[in-house]
Amino acid sequence: MSDTERYAPALEVRDLTRAFGVRKALDGVTIDLPERAFLSIFGPNGAGKTTLVKVLTSLLNPTSGTAKVLGLDVVNDAVEMRQRIGLISHNPLLYPDLTAEENLLFFAEMYGIEKPHVRVAELLEAVELDHRKLDLARTFSRGMLQRLSIARALLHEPEVIFLDEPYSGLDPHAMDILDGLIAQIRARHTFVMISHDLDKGLELCTHALILAKGRVVLFEPREALDVARFRETYRATVGMGVA
Amino acid sequence: MKLASTRALVALVLGGVLTLGAFLGTFFWAGVPDFGFVRVAGHTDSVRYQGPFEQKIDEARYLANYVGYEAEIEADGESYAGRVVEADESRVVVGTDTGDAGAPKDTIAVADITSAVVRGSEYGRPDWGQKIFYFHVPVAEISFLVFALAAFYGIRFIMTRKREFDTRARISMEVTLTFVSLTMMTGILWTRAAWGVWWEWEPRLTTYFIMTLLVIGYFVLRNAVEDEERRALYAAAFSILAFIDAPISFFITRLIPSNHPVIERGGLEPPMLVSFIVAQIGMILLGYAIYQLRMGETMLKDRIEHAKTLLER
Amino acid sequence: MASLSWRQFRAMLKKDIVMELRTKEMLMSMGLYSLLTMVVYFVALSQAGSAFDPRDIAAGLLWLAFIFTSMLGLNRSLVHEKDQGCLEALLLSPVDRPVIFFGKVTGNLIFLLAVEALTIPVFAFLFLQGETVEVSSLAFVPLVLLAGSIGIAGVGTLLATMSVNTSGKDFILAVLFIPLAYPLLLGTVTATGAAIVGGPDAMHAFWAGMAWVLGYDVIMLLASYGLYEFIVGA
Repeated sequence: MSDTERYAPALEVRDLTRAFGVRKALDGVTIDLPERAFLSIFGPNGAGKTTLVKVLTSLLNPTSGTAKVLGLDVVNDAVEMRQRIGLISHNPLLYPDLTAEENLLFFAEMYGIEKPHVRVAELLEAVELDHRKLDLARTFSRGMLQRLSIARALLHEPEVIFLDEPYSGLDPHAMDILDGLIAQIRARHTFVMISHDLDKGLELCTHALILAKGRVVLFEPREALDVARFRETYRATVGMGVA
Repeated sequence: MKLASTRALVALVLGGVLTLGAFLGTFFWAGVPDFGFVRVAGHTDSVRYQGPFEQKIDEARYLANYVGYEAEIEADGESYAGRVVEADESRVVVGTDTGDAGAPKDTIAVADITSAVVRGSEYGRPDWGQKIFYFHVPVAEISFLVFALAAFYGIRFIMTRKREFDTRARISMEVTLTFVSLTMMTGILWTRAAWGVWWEWEPRLTTYFIMTLLVIGYFVLRNAVEDEERRALYAAAFSILAFIDAPISFFITRLIPSNHPVIERGGLEPPMLVSFIVAQIGMILLGYAIYQLRMGETMLKDRIEHAKTLLER
Repeated sequence: MASLSWRQFRAMLKKDIVMELRTKEMLMSMGLYSLLTMVVYFVALSQAGSAFDPRDIAAGLLWLAFIFTSMLGLNRSLVHEKDQGCLEALLLSPVDRPVIFFGKVTGNLIFLLAVEALTIPVFAFLFLQGETVEVSSLAFVPLVLLAGSIGIAGVGTLLATMSVNTSGKDFILAVLFIPLAYPLLLGTVTATGAAIVGGPDAMHAFWAGMAWVLGYDVIMLLASYGLYEFIVGA
């Protein structure tokens, strides 16, 4: 990694708006996030959290404004950017009728990874699934699926990892494993996480963001954050209810 | 906004007046073309009188159909001329049928007849069904026009992702549906009048039927998609595909083996032409008015929606 | 980049085939469905006795079976992608959208051809026994099958990508697909019919039908390819 890349900000979002007709899912969102930060995004349902992540991962195009991930524009440099980001969702995003290994091999091919077999074996070991690599994904428990899903997201060594409510539907044990995995790779990656769990999100993050009705209500680094006030603000936005 | 609705109202009134005028012209001014002809013995005073006719009879027994007509018959080397008084399978009686019993008559055996010619006069049969043409054709033309418009706005939407174009495309499609339904109804009435059947898998009808299904499919698709933007995208894509498909359907129907009568339209006389053009302009204005009124209504709804979201903030 | 696209295309195709061979879901359902169609044909034709020449209607019956079975398969193949959000994972990877389109189209085409290859002997066995068919022109049938199936797979994949995101998936696919496929069906039935019946004018009718089918394939595949990017990302 060169020096210029190292100091390029992970996220550079300028006045991002995503609207259809008069309905605005995102309304003038501006965010700057340094590399290796951990951003937790909070907000009530329908606040635009998922839309924001979809725009940042180039799945949706912004209506106006710009967004850059690792200095790459999400519209114009989408293909290059996709090589460098990963997504762990509450959905496993895996084919149930393929084995663990086949799933990873397939995505390795999609990312054009050299020596896919070596890389896949490496990752299966890291998520402690190498003993089940020949089993179909449909036979996996929720926790195992999530681990496999993490392996899939890390295949191409992404620099920015998006987490879309990764803890939802996990039992405590699986949560611990996920925590452990995140802790392992924490130091080398930038994280952007959507969460409903205030404690968990605050515990992990270096930056916290509250979205409501597509707008940034609060965006502060963790150390500057007054937790009590933060909770108050969060409760107020949730109180605003679902639009 | 206000301007648009004013324009729509003006178009509505003007279109209505023109269409009404065209109908009046159609029924009281434009002539009725002939649809085949009717033959009668002797002369007729019908205004549709076309002139005398002369028909060679190939099989002599068919003379039975021409009782009362003037005939010239040759049989056994002799010529007979006069009115057919009586005729059946075996014999023909020719003479001057004055009611006078003493008038000379000749009885000829059918088997002996070598050639026969009958004469009478013919007049045109008025084709009242053609009147629907002044309504049917403009409506059909406009249905294609608005269909194209819907596809055009579909493309515009895909390029810009502006909700406005989706609304325009949807309303164009609504107008298309209206006009397609009218075309179908009038078409079916005409088929019954002209061909004696309600429906025929004839190329033009088949293609139009497919187009109707595509337009209906468009709305079925719209109703089945939850997310607003996705709905707009899918609808746009489908309208483009449908618009490409329609002409292919039209031309490919030549593959259907078909020996149906082709409807020929001669040059239109001025009263007909004028009525037709006025009907066309009137209906375009009506189509435009429907489009604009629906557009205004939707815009208004959107503004209410917008006001609501502003109030919620 | 081009070689990466090729790798991705191959991976998608391989994945679809591996999954299909494992579950046999599409082939089983499509194959069974086409067999059931044969039963319905028998019932439908049972009252006609021998009053008609089965060769004259064979092409129409065959393509009727194909079009309905294909819709079943198309829906299945896209439901797989949609179910666990795999499509999202695909879209997140650095893959050009047309690669996804052509990957899915090719997969669907292969399964479609497999089912057609199974259906035709069964159909011939059940309905065309003892009929004289011209072997020389019959050899052209695979050509129509391929050309027709390309059209079905191309347009069908695009429409199925839409219909999996709607309520009432199968119904929507049928409502959108059948009118759009009308020109294609007319062409394939004409060509297939000519090839089955034979006769002096057969080749002329066959190529007339084929020309339409190929024209439809080119135009509609291009349109579907152009629109797929917008549809799949929506």
